[in-house]
Amino acid sequence: MRPWRCLAAVLSVAGALVPVAQAAPVFRLEEGMPPEEAAATRQLLDEAAARLPATWAQALDRPIDFAWRDDLPGGVHGRAHAWRIGLRRELLQAWMARPAPADASDQATHAALAAALHELAHLYDRTRAGRLSRDPRLLDLAGWQEAAWRPGRRGRNDFRDRSPDAYELRSPREYVAVNLEHYLLDPGYACRRPALAAYFDARFGTATPRADCAPGLPFVRDAVRDGTGPQLVDPEHIHAVDYLLAEGNSRPMSRWGHGMLRLVVCAPGRQRGPDCRLDLQHHLVLSFRAFVDDVQISSWRGLTGSYPSRLFALPLGQVVDEYTRVELRGLRSVPLDLRRDEIEALATRAAQLHWNYDGRYFFVGNNCAVETWKLLHDAMPRLAAMGLQSITPNGLLARLRRAGATDEAAIPVDADGQVRLGYYFAPANATYDGMYAVVREELATPQADAAAWLELEPETRREVLPRAGLRAAAALLVLESAAVRREEALARDELKRRWLDKPEAPGGTGELAQALREFLRLGGAFSRPASWLDGVPGYGLPQAQEREVLERRVAADAAARARQAQALEAGVRGLLSPRRRAALEGAERNLELLGERLRSLAGESS
Amino acid sequence: MKHYLLTATLVLLGIAASHALAASFAGTSAGASSAGSSASSGSTSGDDKLVREAREDAAGFVASDGRLRSARLEAALRVMRERDPAAAQASDLALARRILAQD
Repeated sequence: MRPWRCLAAVLSVAGALVPVAQAAPVFRLEEGMPPEEAAATRQLLDEAAARLPATWAQALDRPIDFAWRDDLPGGVHGRAHAWRIGLRRELLQAWMARPAPADASDQATHAALAAALHELAHLYDRTRAGRLSRDPRLLDLAGWQEAAWRPGRRGRNDFRDRSPDAYELRSPREYVAVNLEHYLLDPGYACRRPALAAYFDARFGTATPRADCAPGLPFVRDAVRDGTGPQLVDPEHIHAVDYLLAEGNSRPMSRWGHGMLRLVVCAPGRQRGPDCRLDLQHHLVLSFRAFVDDVQISSWRGLTGSYPSRLFALPLGQVVDEYTRVELRGLRSVPLDLRRDEIEALATRAAQLHWNYDGRYFFVGNNCAVETWKLLHDAMPRLAAMGLQSITPNGLLARLRRAGATDEAAIPVDADGQVRLGYYFAPANATYDGMYAVVREELATPQADAAAWLELEPETRREVLPRAGLRAAAALLVLESAAVRREEALARDELKRRWLDKPEAPGGTGELAQALREFLRLGGAFSRPASWLDGVPGYGLPQAQEREVLERRVAADAAARARQAQALEAGVRGLLSPRRRAALEGAERNLELLGERLRSLAGESS
Repeated sequence: MKHYLLTATLVLLGIAASHALAASFAGTSAGASSAGSSASSGSTSGDDKLVREAREDAAGFVASDGRLRSARLEAALRVMRERDPAAAQASDLALARRILAQD
């Protein structure tokens, strides 16, 4: 390594003349630099210094020795040590070879400025005024998150997707330098990393203009039922954020419940307020889940963190179906007591996670409750100070309540009111006996309760359909829907058992195999939105150009996925035992007949 | 590979099954409903979907003589009234029947 030679005290003239209040850093150029190079160097350093916020420039209150270096390893553009900066000589050569008027959009100009600002950021970070890389708030925003189990932070940063420069993930110090470089040079920084831009603005007492940002926060919904493009969420249209808790049941994987967040987004044109609570079709559920590409959820893989943990954005209707109708679990929606700026910060943070985060799932150390806590913690300093960390979804709700972070006054006192306004979604089986009572009264069926009724063969249940009046037919619709879901669950169980016991597949799976691979590939894309923008320049939150590509790709993939799902369902059906298949199709036929019956009954009586 | 295929299929089945379920709610034969749905995320299609998804809730409401009122039903009734001035005058029960009568 080339030693730092004695440096001449060449004071920057501009630096010496500006008043103290706007002090610019003073550079001492390496001795013996040819005059042309020295002039170009000074021009570069002056341009870099001119971009520094005043507080940053003031903190650089000692002369900085500067040299061009030929000894830096490949890919390294500069080094900063104790008030010394060395930059790669190629940067100077390119800088000097630029066409006459060149601004930061010129590649050589940008590269040299970026390198100089990066090293100035390191120096600033080491001053007493700086210390950004040790600021807990910066570490929250950057992704060196607090650990749930122990004091301190995790050593890894999983905000790996759509990074402007993977080098930033090496350490908090590099993160600060890379981000300050972009903050000062990239006009889109405030759009792409709004929370960090706001943090830097606050630190420096400056204001970065954000006029050109693409509107809204894009989320790609993992809607398995129908193909939809990205949903844009305008934080201004979010009435509230709820903690959404799926209650536990006796199954080991579900005992602790599941914790999610629900963005109560208002319908377009509706004024923000409590009325938005019923705009269910616009509400978005944010759910951290392990992305499992296998039917056998492996405890070992769950303990060792080999499943990705990602933030899924789901339509509320789908979540309600999944829990209350398929899993027969209740969903409790508890509004959080947040200020307007906190709601915006939370939504923005969620968008950042959605596009940038690719974490690891650990059953205990990094499950949905821990991830949701970290989201709340990292988005809102006020909640970060509440000590909410919990490793179970129930525990997190209890702590939110104890800390006064929930808006209990908004929740209706009576259970009916809670159900009517969407503060509680009851498990579907809560009504089955009541429904069967209507059937029994009207059609004089002998079975004692819903369970006994649903034990009958579908063909036996079908016999009463032609006699059913409107109320009984409506009740039967609820019961037959339950029957179809139960048959579907039994079919899944049968396939699991038969296929796992006898891995030699039944015939005709060649095409099915291909279709499956394609389906899983599409499913993977929906779980990691950044993959849609592979090969498209840009980082952080996608802006206008990326959104165009995104719109096209998502729409195509969603449509393909819906087609695949149908084709596969038909294929997989053929693998069921005749008995199981007949039972499933019998229940489906009942539902179809009921639909027809209801159409004629409800049509004539209204 | 075979093992992977088999197990993966089962995951898939979970997804495909609820897909069919949605189709049944919509009152169409299994699997047919979403084939024609557009990729648009406009509010009109969202409203239609809301009403479709409230079918079971509407059935519970009609069967219980108006006793069981879920948020989904309330939301669907409100959307119907906002979209159709004639519906604004209709009773909850009449609108719930209309949901049941839909294709």
